[in-house]
Amino acid sequence: MEEVLNPHILFWLFGLPVTKTVVSTWIVMGFLVLFSFLFTRKMRLIPTRLQNILELFVEAILNLIEDMSPGNGRKFLPLVGTLALFIGVSDITGLVPGLKSPTSDFNTTFALALVVFFAVPYYGIRTRGLKNYVRSYFSPSPILAPFHIISEITRTVSLALRLFGNIMGEETIIAILFLLSPLFLPLPMMLFSIFTGVIQAYIFTVLTVVYLSAAVESSGH
Amino acid sequence: MQGEILFLCITVFTAGFSIALGVMFPAIGQGKACSQALESIARQPEAAGPISRTLFVGLAMLESLAIYVLVVSFILLFANPLLKYVFK
Repeated sequence: MEEVLNPHILFWLFGLPVTKTVVSTWIVMGFLVLFSFLFTRKMRLIPTRLQNILELFVEAILNLIEDMSPGNGRKFLPLVGTLALFIGVSDITGLVPGLKSPTSDFNTTFALALVVFFAVPYYGIRTRGLKNYVRSYFSPSPILAPFHIISEITRTVSLALRLFGNIMGEETIIAILFLLSPLFLPLPMMLFSIFTGVIQAYIFTVLTVVYLSAAVESSGH
Repeated sequence: MQGEILFLCITVFTAGFSIALGVMFPAIGQGKACSQALESIARQPEAAGPISRTLFVGLAMLESLAIYVLVVSFILLFANPLLKYVFK
């Protein structure tokens, strides 16, 4: 139970602790890279069955972005698609025996939220220019500038805490059910955790698109 | 020793009670949001896509309140920062 908040250190590499989370992240990364490489090695215009699976994912994410922020689909796809695939796969990783969801560690989710935190000004400045972007902080009144900054920080923290709390809570419930009766009792909760994991990935993606499109659009001022 | 046991009792009680309270009110809010969304989808089935997307974002916002409580009670139970002052 101590592992809930402090991940277990497996070994040391060049003086840095390597936790269970890091190893699970490597496995998720390897899985994603390997399958993307294998399925798209021989790309065809008329997709084969395996290439079709990946095109399904890419198109679903592209449509999601286009629905929420029209015209920005291609621009946001690399960042948002990576976040969606990584979070989706790593939420489900917790079900594999011996592995731990990377997203059930606060360090991973906070890192992902920080990526979004820095991507917002990056896309904002690139599309609207530095002057217009900074001016949006002082609109409608300069008094509101500190509140804009506070809201950017709190929404980053809440983005990280939401994903972490959901996945970690789910894993803890499954662990407690395993202690009670290891045979069939955890099964419904494990099935439910697939659902929650995908929903959480969806919510993280949608909120990222909302924040990015708010930064890119000039919001009428 | 009495004081230490009292501290542990209060910690566990607070963790359990805060989860109970902290889940109750977001649950009421989520129920209201869901029922409103269902009503509006029933009235306008062609708007189901945007409504359910907005509903998901809103539910995520509501849910994060309950998640904060969960994180606080996990900290109280598993990583209590005050323990080192009580058990010297």
